[in-house]
Amino acid sequence: MGGTLPKSRTEGAAGSDREEEEAKQSRDAEEETREISRRAVDLARYYAGKIEVVPRVPIRGLRDFAYWYTPGIAQVSREIHQDPGLAFDLTGRWNTIAIVTDGSRVLGLGDVGPEAALPVMEGKAMLFKYLGGVDAFPLPVRVKDASGLVETVERLEPALGGVNLEDIASPKCFQVLDELRSRLSIPVWHDDQLGTAAAVVAGLLNALTLTGRKIETASIVLLGAGAANLATARLLKALHADLGAMMVVDQHGILNAHREDMDSLMLHHRWKYELALSTNEGRRKGGLPEALAGADVLVAASTPTPGLVTGEGIASMAPEPVVFALANPEPEIWPAVARAAGAKVVATGRSDYPNQVNNSLVFPGVFRGVLDARARSIPDEVVITAARELAKGAEVRGITPEHILPTMDEEGVFPQMAAAVASACVDLGLARVHRSRAEFLSLARERMDRPKRLAEVLIRNGLIPPMPPDPMGNPSGEMEEET
Amino acid sequence: MTEDAERSEGAGEGETPPVHGVRVRPATTQDLPVMAGLLVRLKRLNEEFDPLLKVREDAEEKAEKVLTADLGQVQALLLVAEGTGPDEGKVVGVSRALVRERPFYLPEREGVIQDIYLLPAYRRRRVGEYLLSETVRQLKAKGASLVTAEFPAQNQIATRFYAKRGFRPIVATHAKRL
Repeated sequence: MGGTLPKSRTEGAAGSDREEEEAKQSRDAEEETREISRRAVDLARYYAGKIEVVPRVPIRGLRDFAYWYTPGIAQVSREIHQDPGLAFDLTGRWNTIAIVTDGSRVLGLGDVGPEAALPVMEGKAMLFKYLGGVDAFPLPVRVKDASGLVETVERLEPALGGVNLEDIASPKCFQVLDELRSRLSIPVWHDDQLGTAAAVVAGLLNALTLTGRKIETASIVLLGAGAANLATARLLKALHADLGAMMVVDQHGILNAHREDMDSLMLHHRWKYELALSTNEGRRKGGLPEALAGADVLVAASTPTPGLVTGEGIASMAPEPVVFALANPEPEIWPAVARAAGAKVVATGRSDYPNQVNNSLVFPGVFRGVLDARARSIPDEVVITAARELAKGAEVRGITPEHILPTMDEEGVFPQMAAAVASACVDLGLARVHRSRAEFLSLARERMDRPKRLAEVLIRNGLIPPMPPDPMGNPSGEMEEET
Repeated sequence: MTEDAERSEGAGEGETPPVHGVRVRPATTQDLPVMAGLLVRLKRLNEEFDPLLKVREDAEEKAEKVLTADLGQVQALLLVAEGTGPDEGKVVGVSRALVRERPFYLPEREGVIQDIYLLPAYRRRRVGEYLLSETVRQLKAKGASLVTAEFPAQNQIATRFYAKRGFRPIVATHAKRL
């Protein structure tokens, strides 16, 4: 997905006049976002929906309905009644997921409710189809409490091969994911936790290697204790990172087992409570500056607060630190500033800078893989497999400080991830379908390629109308944004 | 009490409880400021369970006064759990209890556990169990032949912690705002 912005932005005026550079980048980013937002509303009105349901069977005439519907379909129904597992063979269930949200934390907008979440879920469904070949139904639901949400999703299971949870407030999202993972016999994924965490971990694995570090001994600071960072911490733990040396910083400072809000966390946010107990063994107190001093890695996935991370903070880290500044659209620190302060590897959430940490690198391959294996679940081991495969995918073009992750246009990586995920499901005994990795790879390639061919045909034949001209003068309708 | 304490303490039946990193001893005047802080933490935890347990602005100040008064009374019992190792000498837990007469009932003397609090990092290591058993032991030594514990009615964690150790409700306090 092409970054069409001036190249000078990635190079920057490192060090010369940092503040001015920072302010300029911030203004550019705001202006670009305003421009895209205006156009997005026009286009939403013009196209009125981003996905639609299309038959996948030939209809030579009305008589064929006898196979696709009554009377023939009754026999298909009877067979599934005898063996419910056949739903994966005789219907589209194998390739169907729901994108479920309660609209309680949509993008950076907050609790905008299910109706306002719909355009976002629709967009996600389009990405699922286009990038992963997955038929995804956007399903914002009107339910407030975690147990109601869990129950709602549970009731949807018979129609689905998987569930993608999206934009659910923390800590509700942890409870919902944990409960659904244990209750359902299909994979349940929360992209804001697992998708982001897998991309972060993939990037970190390469960044650590590049800077001569080992995950077991690196000191890692996580800024922000939301869905993404809590999941990242969990995956890092599974990869044997030194949790005792890890520090998690939230709006109240460094998380530590003696902090005043611990009892409140115990009652209301046990995931964060657990992290407070297992991280920061030295019980370091203070805020981000105290946490950064001497640290090897910063992963910032915070509520956007520009200027939160400073060049001085980066300079106080260990030599050649790794800095992930993932807030969107404006990162916690601009790459030029971080590099000028000594950062060796810098990643952001943006497509116009090197090293974009992006959920879209992860969920298409992961879902392609679990659906192809018809997996019963997707445990963290499989998430780590996906992260490792993504990290490996960056090797194709060579791993450098500017390339620790594949970009979205390195398309060869994604079927490889799908095959790795599917094979991992087989190895863990979670798959309903057993095939070799090579077979999974060719399945994934075919299934991920199909929607692109489909779109091409529809566009070529005018069934999808071309982008209308922009009345405000932006000649190109080209745009892409992070999910 | 904490769910953490409960989780580990409920598990190993019949084993000798490993008590890591604490000593329990009677409180002294020097302990009072830290104890007051821990007591207020407990009250803030209680606050989570009921709006009628809203903690006062001056709670810390009051806590020091209450604890100071307790120290001078024979019927009161104040114990602290003191860390060892990296937390050597640091007060990490507190129990506050008293022995009182029961003019109408038998048995005649009751040991009342008013507060037990342990810093989160010391939970799940049977420290809570240890602190409780020391408290009970010393209440008994002061003549109590019945032990009761006071905590917010909505605190399910405490309810389970005590229930597992043979406690059951005998008196209920019902409140109504005026």
